[in-house]
Amino acid sequence: MPFKLIIQLSVRNLFRYPRRNGLLLLAIAFALAGATLTNSLMRGWQYDMLDRAVENLVGHVKVQAAEYRDDPNMQHSFKLPADFKPQIAGVEVAGWAPRIKVPAVVLSERESRGVQLVGVDPERENISFFADLTLAGDTLVDQNDGRIVLGAELARQLQTSVGRKVVVLTQGADGKNRERGFRIAGLFDADGTSMEKTFAFTGLTSARTFLGDGRSGDGDGLVTEVSVVLADEPQRQQAVQDLAITFPDKDVADWRTLQPQVAEMFAMADVAIYIIFVLMMGGLAFGLVNTLIAAVMERVRELGMLRAIGMPRRVVLMQVVVESMFIMSVGIVLGLAAGCLSVWALADGIDLSAFAEGIDAFGMRALLIPVLSVDDLLLFSGLSLLLGLVASIFPALRAVRITPLMAMNR
Amino acid sequence: MQQPVVRCRNVKRIYQQESVPVHALGGVDLDVQPGEFVSLAGPSGSGKSTLLNIIGGLDAATSGSVMVDGVELSGKSPAALSALRLQKIGFVFQAYNLLPVLSALENVEFILQLQGINKTQRRQRAAQALANLGLGELGDRRPGELSGGQQQRVAIARAIVTEPVLLIADEPTANLDSATTEELLVLMSQLNAEHNMTIVTATHDPMVMSHARRQVHLMDGHIDRDG
Repeated sequence: MPFKLIIQLSVRNLFRYPRRNGLLLLAIAFALAGATLTNSLMRGWQYDMLDRAVENLVGHVKVQAAEYRDDPNMQHSFKLPADFKPQIAGVEVAGWAPRIKVPAVVLSERESRGVQLVGVDPERENISFFADLTLAGDTLVDQNDGRIVLGAELARQLQTSVGRKVVVLTQGADGKNRERGFRIAGLFDADGTSMEKTFAFTGLTSARTFLGDGRSGDGDGLVTEVSVVLADEPQRQQAVQDLAITFPDKDVADWRTLQPQVAEMFAMADVAIYIIFVLMMGGLAFGLVNTLIAAVMERVRELGMLRAIGMPRRVVLMQVVVESMFIMSVGIVLGLAAGCLSVWALADGIDLSAFAEGIDAFGMRALLIPVLSVDDLLLFSGLSLLLGLVASIFPALRAVRITPLMAMNR
Repeated sequence: MQQPVVRCRNVKRIYQQESVPVHALGGVDLDVQPGEFVSLAGPSGSGKSTLLNIIGGLDAATSGSVMVDGVELSGKSPAALSALRLQKIGFVFQAYNLLPVLSALENVEFILQLQGINKTQRRQRAAQALANLGLGELGDRRPGELSGGQQQRVAIARAIVTEPVLLIADEPTANLDSATTEELLVLMSQLNAEHNMTIVTATHDPMVMSHARRQVHLMDGHIDRDG
């Protein structure tokens, strides 16, 4: 097969119709740039959703009492050994945090609201959104801090403010109701999203004292969960297996199990990315087929002559295929470059705070930051080349059906 | 006696035109010996182009036998005929049919590339073929930058560069003025006389017929006169 000749003829033939091929090239580049930008925004949303799910006090893997998921209260807490440290073979642990998390009612002088009361060790909460809270007032100093931190929206609904007291009503480890007053240390701002209404934080030791069964002052090291964040999310299954050995009678689950809706949306985003790509590039394929057929039909005499002097059919076929692949390759390079440039231009993110409540339902933050995935770009390039190949088949078959006599009779 | 370059026996070609059979060739016998310059002449519809196409392996006879350089063409697959054309036959067409995206030199060279000849050799042979036809200085020009006569000479260079056993020329002068036609015919006569090139051409042009050493006249699909 004379590859050099095929490439030479194919490339030069493309420059024969500069306007038509230029427009086609622009269309390919535009579609790929659009697909790249759309993809990066979707990936941005997807990773943001994952980060939020993980940082939303879930982590990549969580250890809880077996019954806790069905009935989350202090009776389903467990004692964490004082020297506990998650050891997972071959998996790097980015951080871990013990917590007490129970449903509770917060009462002010005027209103009451249902919340999740979370006892945290602030020094360990660098793995959750707690570490990045924007606060009015103070944060918790340490795990012994007996004050409470509420969301700004919750405080607004309770008609209370920093420095005032609220009463928290919940159930203790002994199943009896507990009630205690907490002074508000600070109010956190989470862009008006549901987190502001959901969580109320206090120190872990303070929560143990409040909710423990009273046998010891610190609640015997009780926790309702241990949240673990890994350096590499895909290793979560390994972590689940290892932690299940450490905690044989506990419920060890990854974030996908704990947040099935988020996991579904995550998977849906994967599918949506490919659907958008296929729709964008699929439309383009018809343009490519059309252009290639036009190029073949305009060269019937020439192709007939080539067949007459002895050019094998496979060489004619390859010529059309290479033309298609070449134009697609240049389109891919231009498209990806333009797509990457547009992602770079939006690198600071798109401010969606005007739609904060709406996008909260989709697990999004108010700032959407596009994320470029090299794997996706490689996949897009590969799929585009495949599309170029498929689109060239029909025109190439038309080209090889041209006989010298047919060409001469035109 | 040498083996004829072309040997046709009882060659018939019947086309179906809207289910009506048209007898383009009605049983032609023809031998072309090595070194002959044969002109197939006759009015339109006489069958000269059909016979030329069948000899060149571009069309298949309905019945009969056609041999080129001892190879029987009937029953051969399109791929085998394609290979035979590439190795044994040179073609010159009425409309030159050069590739507009290649230079004159590349137009001559690419057929050697199809034959798998290495770059140095094919470049040398293509340049030599052009030089022999008086186009040595024009090798880097594209067809669009050449006159009709120059283009047809490039087409001849492309046809002979592979040193075929048979040169087939279908109305080679139809698009040329008389002066250029005369130049081209002198060139073909030289190729025939000096290089013993076997040439078969189909033409209406009396100038071409006068340069051919043998004229075969066809009428209604039969050889009417030969000599």
